Amino acid sequence: MHVPDGLIAPPVYFAAAGLAVPFWIVAVRQVARTLDEETIPRMAILTALAFVLSSVMIPLPGGTSAHFSGVGMLAIVFGLWPAFLAFSGVLLLQVLLLGMGGITTLPITALSLGLVGGSVAVLLHRAFRARNAILSVALPVALGVVCAAAVMALVLGFQPAFGSDANGQPLYFPFGIAVTLPVMVLPHLAIGAAEGMLSVVALRFLHRNSAAALLDE
Amino acid sequence: MSDRWLLAGWLTAVVGATFIHDPVWLSGLVAFVLAVQIRSAGRILARAMLAVAFVNLAVSLAWILQAAVQQQPWLELVLRLNLRVLLITVLTFSMVERVDLVRAVDFWPSLRFVVVLALGQLRVLDRLLEDYRAAYTSRSPTAPQLRLRFAASGRQAAALFDKAEQRSLELNQGMRARGFFDDRR
Repeated sequence: MHVPDGLIAPPVYFAAAGLAVPFWIVAVRQVARTLDEETIPRMAILTALAFVLSSVMIPLPGGTSAHFSGVGMLAIVFGLWPAFLAFSGVLLLQVLLLGMGGITTLPITALSLGLVGGSVAVLLHRAFRARNAILSVALPVALGVVCAAAVMALVLGFQPAFGSDANGQPLYFPFGIAVTLPVMVLPHLAIGAAEGMLSVVALRFLHRNSAAALLDE
Repeated sequence: MSDRWLLAGWLTAVVGATFIHDPVWLSGLVAFVLAVQIRSAGRILARAMLAVAFVNLAVSLAWILQAAVQQQPWLELVLRLNLRVLLITVLTFSMVERVDLVRAVDFWPSLRFVVVLALGQLRVLDRLLEDYRAAYTSRSPTAPQLRLRFAASGRQAAALFDKAEQRSLELNQGMRARGFFDDRR
């Protein structure tokens, strides 16, 4: 869901940056308050984890695959704010180390996938936790991915409103919401479902390993 | 030029490029940025074109199709978007080749520390993932079923979480043993 620089109008990415900064400040404070002196090494490792998690492939039918975002799973395991911070750090490292994604679009991606996707995952996980273990991971992660895609589609779909040239041609991303919403959301229904299922499988292995480690001790 | 200034210059150039709409100016700037670094120009251009190909092709082809159906002009928008995205990507790859990230963030010790640790841990986790993938490939002489592919990816993600927890604990204990946290108080 990386949007490259150059497709988003400056008023939109400046507004997104203005919106993201208070959330980053809140996230840093929350993480610092709960983790005290361990904050720095833990956040560094979470960032590295989130970075490498995005290299794990989500298997899709027909031998194809998509990249795992891992935000929902990180948010469920470590909480919303550490996951949001780590994911923002990953976006920054991806731009500065690999040239992937975009620096002007970073706040938009961080807000949509990290904050909206992460919040949906955490809230739904809390709501379903007592009812069904599988559903309480698969559904929140899947809906987090779909909601993030919907937010991104709305942002892209508003771009034609931000200016056109003398011939009436848009200056930035040219398609409106009627196009971006189905084009972004429909494929992410499948990707979200697959990411939800993969998160269930991963957490099951993780719990099994933790139980085995406890037995060893 | 220091890494910090290169980073600031790149950021300013990227923001500046998003305000340029004329394809002639944009193509001139792409040529200028490549001419400035003539030795690596071919490599950077190839990397940039590959990186933007998917998004740019999808947007351009969809726009050409829509314009053809509505009998509208399409060339200027396609040139504008492609050249702007290409210019920014060329600028970004040029920055990536030149800037040392650790030196660029040395104005803020905590940030530098996070970056150094994250880069180090990234290699550890990346190597773990590569090991898992290599083992999975060697165990799969034929194309595995979807269920097995899910299990393999799930194991990879779980192993990464497990390793990250372990590394976090080790790192914290190591730093505490060496008095790092006492020095920072």
